[in-house]
Amino acid sequence: MSTTNILAERSPPARTEPLTSRLARLLGGANLIGAVLPLGLLVLWQTATSLRWIQPVFLPSPLATVQAFWTMLTRQNLHVDFTASILIVSQAFVYGAALAVALGIAAGLSRNVERFLGPTFDTIRHIPGIAWLPLIVLWLGIGAPAKVLVIAKSVFFPVFLNTLQGIRDVEKRYIELADVLTLTRWQLVRKVILPAAVPSIMVSLRYSAGVAWALVVVAEGLSGLEGIGYLIFRAQGLLLTDQLVVCMVIIGAVGFTIDRAMLALQRYVLRWKQGFEG
Amino acid sequence: MNQRGSLDIRNVGKHYEVDGQRLDVLDDVDLKVEPGSFISLVGPSGCGKSTLLRLIVGLDDEYSGEILLDGRRVSGTSLDRGIVFQDHRLLPWLTLEENIGLALLNAELPEDEKRRTVAEHIALVGLKGFETAYPHQLSGGMAQRAAIARGLVGRPEILLLDEPLGALDALTRVRLQEEILRIWRAEKVTMILVTHDVDEAIYLSDRVVVMNTGPGRIVRELDVDLPQPRDRATHAFVDLKRQVLEHMGEYVHAEAA
Ligand SMILES: Nc1ncnc2c1ncn2[C@@H]1O[C@H](COP(=O)(O)OP(=O)(O)OP(=O)(O)O)[C@@H](O)[C@H]1O
Ligand SMILES: [Mg+2]
Repeated sequence: MSTTNILAERSPPARTEPLTSRLARLLGGANLIGAVLPLGLLVLWQTATSLRWIQPVFLPSPLATVQAFWTMLTRQNLHVDFTASILIVSQAFVYGAALAVALGIAAGLSRNVERFLGPTFDTIRHIPGIAWLPLIVLWLGIGAPAKVLVIAKSVFFPVFLNTLQGIRDVEKRYIELADVLTLTRWQLVRKVILPAAVPSIMVSLRYSAGVAWALVVVAEGLSGLEGIGYLIFRAQGLLLTDQLVVCMVIIGAVGFTIDRAMLALQRYVLRWKQGFEG
Repeated sequence: MNQRGSLDIRNVGKHYEVDGQRLDVLDDVDLKVEPGSFISLVGPSGCGKSTLLRLIVGLDDEYSGEILLDGRRVSGTSLDRGIVFQDHRLLPWLTLEENIGLALLNAELPEDEKRRTVAEHIALVGLKGFETAYPHQLSGGMAQRAAIARGLVGRPEILLLDEPLGALDALTRVRLQEEILRIWRAEKVTMILVTHDVDEAIYLSDRVVVMNTGPGRIVRELDVDLPQPRDRATHAFVDLKRQVLEHMGEYVHAEAA
């Protein structure tokens, strides 16, 4: 067959944005406006404490908070607690999400698997992760494994349900296309069903990463002797308000970072998708 | 040359159940398509053209009557029968070349041969340079051309085209019509084209099949005995066009008005 091309060729679209401009967009522009409110709050915080609107024991000044941070870091091994929390969250997230995606796919592809798991899962799902903690601590002790298990449970369900739904929502016309192209069952899953479910899976991953981080603080506060969550409740007990605020800021900053990282991952994985960018 | 690709549609009927009501979509459809011929289906919206193609391609087995390809009853889908859907149906998560390559996933060809064929067909529809573009980065017409390339790449015996040129501007449309003709002659593939454009139907095909609604059926088959290349301005061409429109009911309405 001849390949002569009678159509005028057009130049391909410029799809690869230069790295520098992407960086500039990430750091500047839109993100400057996002910094206005935090800076304003910081100024308010500083003013409120320097003018003594609030007692230091209720709210330490930003400077005192930074000092407390330095003290915790150099003398009280803050990084150890920090690492402990991060480790628990990462393990719980990876185990919970991996199992959820695997079982979600299985249940999505087979009504029988779904019927088999459904009643059990729908019951367990409604017992909050934290309600499981006392029993599991009884079994596994107050160390990391109990927390990993409880948080993994809380990661599992949103991801499982979204994977299942994502698979069920695959458009029929794409299945028909696969049929016409005589794809095998496995090819259908790999080329059509899974990619179609990825947007829904990604949303749940981002959501449950946030949930996991919030839960580790609670779980550590309830049991155990290390971690950011432990520190925050200890600080409360000892009335070390400056340390308490340090912990809160760290929790917020980590949460923010996790969310932005998940968002970046989502954007990358779903680069084939044209979304509303505002 | 190629004697495969003969299609025999016998007394085919199709209905859907909509809210417990029986909706007849096709009634007593008979159609014979010789190997390597080019047939156009024209008819008003909703007369069952797409439905008929779905039955031929094997997406729907629930119908009465018989559809035979090369004498054997069609059952299920097969790489012998290709279709270009009315919507382009490119998978949004695959690049252009991956989308077209999907049609060769189960073809018995060595990998490098597959890559070559895909590149060839991308060039054929004028999409060179867009190999790694995702569907959302293509215009509607480009996506339709990509879908045509995907339909052709597996070299089916029979290719069903459901309004493949609907989203194209007049100029590109004419160019692609030439391209389709060229491919048809080169590959000896049997083609069934659904179109709303009577000019297009007459320009391209050996035979124009006119369908109508209520329930969907074939009202007339008109042979196009014009020499190639055809000139749309000739008397014979215009006369045939008038006949087709007449059978579609257009002229009746025009005269009544
Ligand atoms: N899945 C379905 N369930 C019920 N009715 C259907 C279904 N698919 C098609 N129909 C009906 O069948 C009839 C024919 O539809 P079809 O898509 O074949 O028309 P068409 O001739 O291709 O029209 P168009 O030119 O607008 O594409 C329509 O009345 C439509 O409502
Ligand atoms: Mg149609």
